[in-house]
Amino acid sequence: MSVLFSIPILGLVAVLQSAVVSRLPLNSGTADLMLVLLVSIALQKGVRETWQWSIVGGLLTDSISGLPFGIFTFSYLLATGLAVALRERIWQFSFLMQLLVVLVGTVVSHGLAYLVTFFEGANLVFASVLQVITLPSIILNFMLSVPIFILTRDVLEYFIPQENNA
Amino acid sequence: MNIKFPKSYRTIAISLAAIGILALALSGTFTTISRWVTKPLTAVQTWVSNQYFGVETFLTASQDIQEVRQQNTELEAENARMQAQIVELQQQLVEFKILSALLEFARANPEHQYLGASVIGRDPSPFLNYIIINRGSDDGLRRGMPVVTQNGLAGRVVQVTASGARVSLITDPATRINVRIEPSRSAGVLSGTITGDITLEQIPQDADVQPGNLILTSGLGGTYPSNIIVGQVTSVRSRENALFQSASVQPVTDFTDLSIVLVITNFEPVDLSPLLPESPTP
Repeated sequence: MSVLFSIPILGLVAVLQSAVVSRLPLNSGTADLMLVLLVSIALQKGVRETWQWSIVGGLLTDSISGLPFGIFTFSYLLATGLAVALRERIWQFSFLMQLLVVLVGTVVSHGLAYLVTFFEGANLVFASVLQVITLPSIILNFMLSVPIFILTRDVLEYFIPQENNA
Repeated sequence: MNIKFPKSYRTIAISLAAIGILALALSGTFTTISRWVTKPLTAVQTWVSNQYFGVETFLTASQDIQEVRQQNTELEAENARMQAQIVELQQQLVEFKILSALLEFARANPEHQYLGASVIGRDPSPFLNYIIINRGSDDGLRRGMPVVTQNGLAGRVVQVTASGARVSLITDPATRINVRIEPSRSAGVLSGTITGDITLEQIPQDADVQPGNLILTSGLGGTYPSNIIVGQVTSVRSRENALFQSASVQPVTDFTDLSIVLVITNFEPVDLSPLLPESPTP
């Protein structure tokens, strides 16, 4: 899949994240559609431009977020790295790996966001953050992982053979 | 042996028989007999008639069914159009109600100039209670402008692009607002929390604060104009050995369902940085 496709597709995902997904919170946590999608892509066999997609997705999310620039890009790259590492070893259990990588990605992303906002003077208590934001977000990301993983697998199975034949 | 009656006798006999039969029929003697006869006849006639209608329907139905199907499709399409129209009208009604309330708010507070904006998104990070609005520097928005709803304060503009702006809500954990408690006129500092609630801190111990008291912006610090309603005190926490009291506040604005806001465009936030003491250089 060309990286050129990533800009409109991930741009649409970023818009959906801001306009729809972020408006559907569980407690105070929200799902991270971009993270779930990027991890799903990274775990699929045969996808070569995984890193480029992660960078594009991270930059797009960073551009619409009020958090300091780079937090989402770093988190997504880390999650992608983990996904790629797992894919090359135990890719047969890719859906369980999807959940594991989404879990790690969410924790890293929230950890960085917590540190930044805490040092900027925000009124944040670690235990409350874990209970009210991070755990609900993980649950939402897990729930989102099932359809996104299946959809990504089916779409990529359709496109990747054509690329290989080209 | 054939007995031959005269023709007139035969006529009289037939007439008498007919009159007799008629009299018996009128007196109800034949009712039971006629029921025995007519009942199976009616049943047979009903069956034959039903079969006839069945055959007739079978022969003419193909055309009728096609017409009915066509009508049904048209009605379904019409129904879908009407339902879409109803949804659109309901949406317009909601928007109209919000706009009416905003207009009322603007009329009640004529000292400010307002610019309406639609909420088009929220920050992707759950750590920030920010909204994104569809007005930006092209519309005259600048950083620091307060944002209100028909009910009261919502937040302030923290970042502006050409066609959009990011607004930090008063429920954001990093928010600090100087407020006044009415009717005691005591001062306090309002801060947001991750749960979306807001708390009032640094209330002097001698201040008389009760549940139900109104919270308004005080204007201190120059970040917000004064006298904008923020919320209502729901509970007060006071400890004898503490320097200050604190209170929980119910915001007047429902932040979960924010669709249209007003930006106060004629408010200039005061930049206090030149007044702050500079850190000594080594």
